[in-house]
Amino acid sequence: MAHAPVAARPRVGVVKFASCDGCQLTLLDLEDELLSVVEHFDIVDFPEATSARSAGPYDVLFVEGSVSEPAHLERIVELRRRTRFLVTIGACATAGGIQALRNWGDHDAFRLGVYAHPEWIASLARSTPVSEHVTVDAELRGCPIDPGQLVELLTALTTGRRPQLRDEAVCMECKRSGVVCVMVSKGIPCLGQVTQTGCGAICPRFGRGCYGCFGPREQANAAGLTRHLQMAGDRPREEIGRLFAGFTAYSEPFRSMVTELGGARTGRGTTTTTAAEPAPRGGKA
Amino acid sequence: MVISASRSPRGSRPAIEGPGFLARADLQVLFDLLREDGRRLIGPTVSDGSIIYDDITSVDQLPRGWGDEQSPGRYRLRRRGDERLFGYVVGPTAWKKWTFPALIPLTRSTHDGHKVSFEPEQATAPKLAFLGARACELAALGVQDRVLIGTEFIDPDYMVRRANVFVVAVQCTTSASTCFCTSMGTGPEVTEGFDLSLTELDAGFLVDAGTPAGRAVLERLPLRAATAAEQYGVAATVAAVRARIGDPVPTDGLHDRLLAQLDHPRWAQVAERCITCGNCTLACPTCFCTTLTQTTDLSGETALASRSWDSCFSPGFAKVAGGSFRARPRDRYRQWLTHKFATWWDQFGTSGCVGCGRCITWCPVGIDVRDELNAIAPPVPLSPESRLVEPVAATPNEFVTARVVNTKAETADTTTLTLTGVDPAFSHGSTGQFAMVALPGFPPLPISISRFLTDGIELTIRGAGPATKAMCALQVGDQVGLRGPLGNNWPLDRAVGRDLVIVTGGIGLAPLRPVLHAIVADRRRFGDVKLFYGARTPADLIYRDELERWGKRDGIDVSLTVDRAGPDWSGRVGIVTHLFDQAVWDGSNMIAFVCGPERMMQAASTTLAGRGVSASRIHVTLERHMECGIGLCGHCQMGKYFVCRDGPVFSIAQLGDTFGREGI
Repeated sequence: MAHAPVAARPRVGVVKFASCDGCQLTLLDLEDELLSVVEHFDIVDFPEATSARSAGPYDVLFVEGSVSEPAHLERIVELRRRTRFLVTIGACATAGGIQALRNWGDHDAFRLGVYAHPEWIASLARSTPVSEHVTVDAELRGCPIDPGQLVELLTALTTGRRPQLRDEAVCMECKRSGVVCVMVSKGIPCLGQVTQTGCGAICPRFGRGCYGCFGPREQANAAGLTRHLQMAGDRPREEIGRLFAGFTAYSEPFRSMVTELGGARTGRGTTTTTAAEPAPRGGKA
Repeated sequence: MVISASRSPRGSRPAIEGPGFLARADLQVLFDLLREDGRRLIGPTVSDGSIIYDDITSVDQLPRGWGDEQSPGRYRLRRRGDERLFGYVVGPTAWKKWTFPALIPLTRSTHDGHKVSFEPEQATAPKLAFLGARACELAALGVQDRVLIGTEFIDPDYMVRRANVFVVAVQCTTSASTCFCTSMGTGPEVTEGFDLSLTELDAGFLVDAGTPAGRAVLERLPLRAATAAEQYGVAATVAAVRARIGDPVPTDGLHDRLLAQLDHPRWAQVAERCITCGNCTLACPTCFCTTLTQTTDLSGETALASRSWDSCFSPGFAKVAGGSFRARPRDRYRQWLTHKFATWWDQFGTSGCVGCGRCITWCPVGIDVRDELNAIAPPVPLSPESRLVEPVAATPNEFVTARVVNTKAETADTTTLTLTGVDPAFSHGSTGQFAMVALPGFPPLPISISRFLTDGIELTIRGAGPATKAMCALQVGDQVGLRGPLGNNWPLDRAVGRDLVIVTGGIGLAPLRPVLHAIVADRRRFGDVKLFYGARTPADLIYRDELERWGKRDGIDVSLTVDRAGPDWSGRVGIVTHLFDQAVWDGSNMIAFVCGPERMMQAASTTLAGRGVSASRIHVTLERHMECGIGLCGHCQMGKYFVCRDGPVFSIAQLGDTFGREGI
């Protein structure tokens, strides 16, 4: 983590791997701060915003997306070499994304099932977070990332302080803002307890359970939550497994829960290869 | 006396003695009076499937006809089938939301070249009226008062906010399964900490004032005097609530009981269930921990420090550069529970818990703090009672007498006397205690009580000198003099839920025999119980019938050994500490009671320590020259202790390096 400003006017790049671009757009959506951001940062590479290109070096590089294609493997290492402070943004880059659900399935069967010309598709068997390949200096979690956390990171970078990205449960945000617990008052299963905060508890605010897009928090007791949902909620294993099988399914300990309980839906004609029990709802041809 | 329902100028009405009666239709008058006074009204209202506290202006916003059902991890609204406005119990909101907000700005600072400046945020607070605070919640406000403005350093923001609150309390006429105010001594009766109190009846409310400010408002309400029947009805209703709640967490001695269990295995078990999400602490109306956050602008020139609610359950809460001081979830659960129910007393002279039950209802996985307390620090005294009774004939010149009704020769030199006609204090003595036993002309001697009977005790005496030989020679019908029961006891309450190992030899089994009786009487409360017992020869084993029964019938794992075997002995030969050392057992959840010569106890504790039993879980009973039995004569001094008064049972941790040291 930076303890002094990264640079006087840091050279910033924004790049993407396998992702939907929504997290990058969060940067453009900072309408109130945008002019000030451009004033304090030299944005040298940002395909969503400008046609200018740079090969680096970067003082700060925002990396969106998961490592999903063979070409990504070399590219991420090369970008890391040209970057002082590398920030992964979003569930794809930090956890492998929703596309990491294929990690439980049969990669070749997916390609055959989905694409007319599977021979044109160059993809890796597993979708993986950037941190599995190179050192990451900071993470912004979420699908998409939270604009407030993005501003917090940017302002921390210009002052050289530690960004205040809390590692605590979403529940803390619910309680601070007076959102009534959906699990206790409505019996809705909620991953907020095991999920890192930062979203502002947006789903519980609208009466929905958290689905963990910010990924597991430190020491997330996913096994304890699972036991409770099984016993108190009398829910079937696979249903609980599917709770964890979302945007951050491939992050531990969610990953172990998905593997143990099943719940990573597999595509047509594919089979679950690593789950302890095959997902009974998969395989609809 | 009926007073006109129309509002009249202050002071023009005769004052009402005792509570007044406010008709249901006139409750809005109270709302309007408080609002005219410039106050925002905060009160209960239905929102999002629960009864929360929020800004309200009208009686119509109250949860008319709504009740709630609460259990660990579950809250549901239900229709009551009546028109009650306060027929629910406490919900998810705590009043601290307004007196101690979740987020406040603290300091604005600027950085201009070399110059820095810090500007404290000025505390401001709206004038509020809390409507519907329950007894437990009044207590919670009192607890936060002590914490935040009751000591040398105060929280100015809290002070300003708190001073601007007018509190309208409401008596509880119903309770939830999660309530335990009765145990914590905070309710259900509203007794203090309010300006006005309301008690809801079918037709209206009994209204009473608790402060001059409350009296001033009361006098402007359209009241009539409450009838005796109304007052009696209210008292009976609240008494029924008290009876329904019962006493789920007996708090007698809870502080010490809990702090004595810092290494209880249950901490690890509850941590497997606990998600460490922090909901309990943020729902709690007394939890006051906060954290500072800094935000800056992009230029880095201006910064704002804010304070927000934090939780001791968050991994980062106790973190320093090298890691967290409470790294494991079990550490954090223990921190929370021991703070709430024990160390809060030491810091603030009050419990940190008011028994509102929010931490139970709003725990997403339904951990019930009452169950954890009762499991970790069990409230039920064992039989014989773990609390010590007042001794009789306490001073050294007094004795009570008892009569021998049975004698039993245990070995060639050891006899068990059954005494009856003893003072009832002896029957209520505790395992490990002793009596000073006297015969005229002989020095009184400390003798362990080897059995507690409903109307008597047993003493097992080895005739080693003239006095003990005289005692062993007593016949049925003879009398002896007694003082006691004296000394402390084996900490049997700490053995509940644990494995227990007892290591002893010869007559050393006598003070441990009541421990075995207590375990057999309540066997399921203990884990594995092992007895390692040695004697010089098979003929020197005492309580032989019982040893057989404990092993064969009562689920005690009895291992015997003798130093010298005869032809009829087929068991182990060797000293007891070897037998103990060679046996297969796991010390991870074990507590040990050891009685024997000091060298033997030292060897046993070395073995125990080697298998992971900490010094605080190894208990020994010490022998010293005792004459008075109450710490006055000075004979039995050992380091900082008098063995008779502070012991004779000590943990190795208490004794430190005086234990086993020659010449102490």
